[in-house]
Amino acid sequence: MAREQQLTKIFVEVADSLIDDFDLIDFLQRLSEHCVQLLDVAACGVLLADEHDVLQVLAASDENTRLLELFALQHDQGPCVECYRSGRPRTNIDLEDPKVTKAWPQFTPAALQSGFLSTNAIPLRLRGRVIGALGLFQTRDNALSDADTALAQALADVATIAILQQRTLAHSETERGQLQYALTSRIVLEQVKGILAERWQVTPDEAFAAFRVYARSHHHQLSHLARLIADGEFDTDQIPRSPQPR
Amino acid sequence: MISDGMAEVLRLLQLDDGFDATADVAARAAETLGVAGLTVSLATGGDRVELMWCTDEAAGRFEDLQFTLGEGPGPEAVRSGAMVLVPDLARVRPDRWPALSVEAAGLAARAVFCFPMGIGAIRVGVLTLVRRTAGSLADGQVGDALVLAHTLAGHALGSVLPGLDGAVPADSTDVLLHAVVHQATGMVSVQLDVPLTQALLRLRAHAYSSGRPLTDVSRDVVARRLRLDLNGNGNGTPLPVSDKD
Repeated sequence: MAREQQLTKIFVEVADSLIDDFDLIDFLQRLSEHCVQLLDVAACGVLLADEHDVLQVLAASDENTRLLELFALQHDQGPCVECYRSGRPRTNIDLEDPKVTKAWPQFTPAALQSGFLSTNAIPLRLRGRVIGALGLFQTRDNALSDADTALAQALADVATIAILQQRTLAHSETERGQLQYALTSRIVLEQVKGILAERWQVTPDEAFAAFRVYARSHHHQLSHLARLIADGEFDTDQIPRSPQPR
Repeated sequence: MISDGMAEVLRLLQLDDGFDATADVAARAAETLGVAGLTVSLATGGDRVELMWCTDEAAGRFEDLQFTLGEGPGPEAVRSGAMVLVPDLARVRPDRWPALSVEAAGLAARAVFCFPMGIGAIRVGVLTLVRRTAGSLADGQVGDALVLAHTLAGHALGSVLPGLDGAVPADSTDVLLHAVVHQATGMVSVQLDVPLTQALLRLRAHAYSSGRPLTDVSRDVVARRLRLDLNGNGNGTPLPVSDKD
């Protein structure tokens, strides 16, 4: 599909989601997947700052624990933290550059070990404030052009809008309440991966895949269903353990 | 960015000099946050809570009322895991908290701000700030209150667990960034058939007694290299004998 067609499709999907009751984590995951296709990168993640100004992963293009942990490593070092603090994008960072390794001694080797060669960070902006960052990883030598960076910023802005637009259980009056709800939802999801993994004797990643297929096909919101499961208010035997291929 | 006043409150909290000191810390916290009073309630299962801090009567009565009725900003904050800010109780739509809107009219509380204490689906309690006059919190005060609630949650989770040897110190917040800790918490809760709160406490107790980081222990649990038993021990390794039961 041509990029323009893809963009049209995505913006229709975004508009549809935002006017409807949507699940933030699921929405951001889809958005991350779109970023991967549109920007021709290998992985994408959306990070949001918590009450301690520490970046937390809200969603990633590939929901595997290894990638989530790589994003989590950026809580105190790495391009996303620098982007969050400066408010400016950091693009086309060569992970094999010794200066980069020196600046981020834990993050850089972990990223290389996961097969990534370069990385980018785009700020999530909210009226002159920065609330998080969009992290992009590449496995090939394909630098982002200025047009790519502009598109990445537009997608990051869509993520910010979605975070503020979510309808929370708390009908939270404030933007900070919205941010907090998003961060809590993410943690609940991880706890539920563990619960399902143990019940079904599979890995958390496999458990999540089955959980997501079930939630999407039954029009359950991921975060809502996760909260029900964590509170013991949903019979998880209803969820087929081996998901049908999508 | 927390204020200097809140930094001092957090420092005093770390000292933890017993009940009298705690009352002093709570009063200082209320002053720093610019409110007439504050309460800290610990969740004890379902919608029930136990009052742990209470700096003034109006705040205490409001807290009692909303948890007796089971509705209001506090119960809502506990359920959702997000703060609920009510700058003017008189302007809340009556159908939002019908019983509370009737009962609260006679109380001195006019503005109420509730900050949940918890980790994901683990509900530890709620920090409630009360003012006698209407008005919003400043952005800096919201930031201060969030950090205080988070620190109090860490403290509450570090308290003594029955059957384990002594208290487990609160972890640095960094440790809780890791997806693997939350996943391991979920797994242990199923293995031992205990609530998520207990599961996290047992993971932490094991990490503490074996002298290993919580993230390492969690990775072992997720990889099924380690299975905790009901005493928080891993793979049958005994804990040091305790005189307490």
